[in-house]
Amino acid sequence: MPTLELYSPTDLNDALRFMDHDGRNAAVIASGTDLLPRMRRKQISPSVLVDISSFTEDLRYIRQSEGTIRLGALTTVTDLLESPLFYGKLSIVREASMLFGAPQVRNVATVGGNICSAASSEDLIPVFMALGANLKLVSAKGERTVPLKDFIVKKRETTIKPSEVLAEVNFSPPGGHSWTAYEKLGRRNMLILAMVNEALSMTLEDDLQTIRSARVALNRVSGKIPALAVKTNDFLEGKRVTDQTITQAQKVLASELSLTSDFRGSGEYRTEVAQVYLRRLVERCARRIGGPS
Amino acid sequence: MAKRAITINVNGTEHPVQVAALDRLIDVLRDQQNLKSVKEGCSTGDCGICAVLVDGKLVNSCLMLAAQCDGRRVTTLEGLLEDQTMKRMQGSFIANNAAQCGFCTPAMLMASWDLARHSPEPSDEEIKVTISGILCRCTGYYQIIDSVREGCERGER
Repeated sequence: MPTLELYSPTDLNDALRFMDHDGRNAAVIASGTDLLPRMRRKQISPSVLVDISSFTEDLRYIRQSEGTIRLGALTTVTDLLESPLFYGKLSIVREASMLFGAPQVRNVATVGGNICSAASSEDLIPVFMALGANLKLVSAKGERTVPLKDFIVKKRETTIKPSEVLAEVNFSPPGGHSWTAYEKLGRRNMLILAMVNEALSMTLEDDLQTIRSARVALNRVSGKIPALAVKTNDFLEGKRVTDQTITQAQKVLASELSLTSDFRGSGEYRTEVAQVYLRRLVERCARRIGGPS
Repeated sequence: MAKRAITINVNGTEHPVQVAALDRLIDVLRDQQNLKSVKEGCSTGDCGICAVLVDGKLVNSCLMLAAQCDGRRVTTLEGLLEDQTMKRMQGSFIANNAAQCGFCTPAMLMASWDLARHSPEPSDEEIKVTISGILCRCTGYYQIIDSVREGCERGER
């Protein structure tokens, strides 16, 4: 590995002070499960790593207050799996976590790290996008909240400033007649980066047939970054859940996607899979909303 | 580069060690502590051969900076040689011919031991998930799955 410094701040404020001065050449390290391999491959060459992994008191928590679920950035994927919160309507978080890496990775990989990695293979980003999550970014000068859907601008590029650290992901669980679901395709079942992953949070009207809101998010919509399938979501809103609606929505999705090919799969295949997943997700959510929960 | 002094509890003993900023846990375990059960495979978290327990959780030691282990408790296979559950698991691996080249065996044993502690009668699905992060180059997975199942069954808690 290249020679560079590791800064181990005494507390979060110390880390933020450091980032305020030297954040431009620094990379924040939590578990390092994504960062260290990228450094090894020379895809990233920070001059200093700022180790926030020990600030678990401040940044590792799963809380629910006043209807909002708050996940500290250092919450591990195993923490998500062990939490009682992610069953029923929110089982999407568990589903995605179970397919995340492998046990050794889940035990240390963090929610914040997965989001800040900002690649099109991250398991949790489409999930939190479908849930309409917001991010809390902190710096020495204060904090701000940004919607996750606007956070990633390019592959591996986010709107986080050099002085900032991601502190929290939060979202309001979908209310009313709602359900969530997740699908992922990789070349194997486990320890694999997604070729396609797709998440849906759907709410029906009281008639249990008309879609009040649907939020589909995919690992790629246009370019190599995760995003909401905005046109598909707009199309589904107000429609009745029928075979015809889903078929039409699949076409809208296909027109909305502009997927390129790479070593994981062709753009054509990805588009096909994304449409199949859309049907599965909508049908599964509709079935679960209608059935016993 | 200046080294820093840290203390890692390795297999029950506190070890003060000097580490460079980017030394990984696997470097300290293999090179400073001479614990050669910890194998280096891919070095990028894909093969899991370097798995050890840190504070009781299975992790890839090639993806963890040693400096991040200051004050933490690390367990390798060498630390469990007298452990009854591990002895049973090893016996089961031997009885089922679960080692071919043997390179993945220490990591498989660590993951299996961790499972046996929590789950005396794991389903095959649980076993597969448990070893899903460890690559067996010889692909003798069925013998390994059989071994883990039997190794867990015999374990009394």
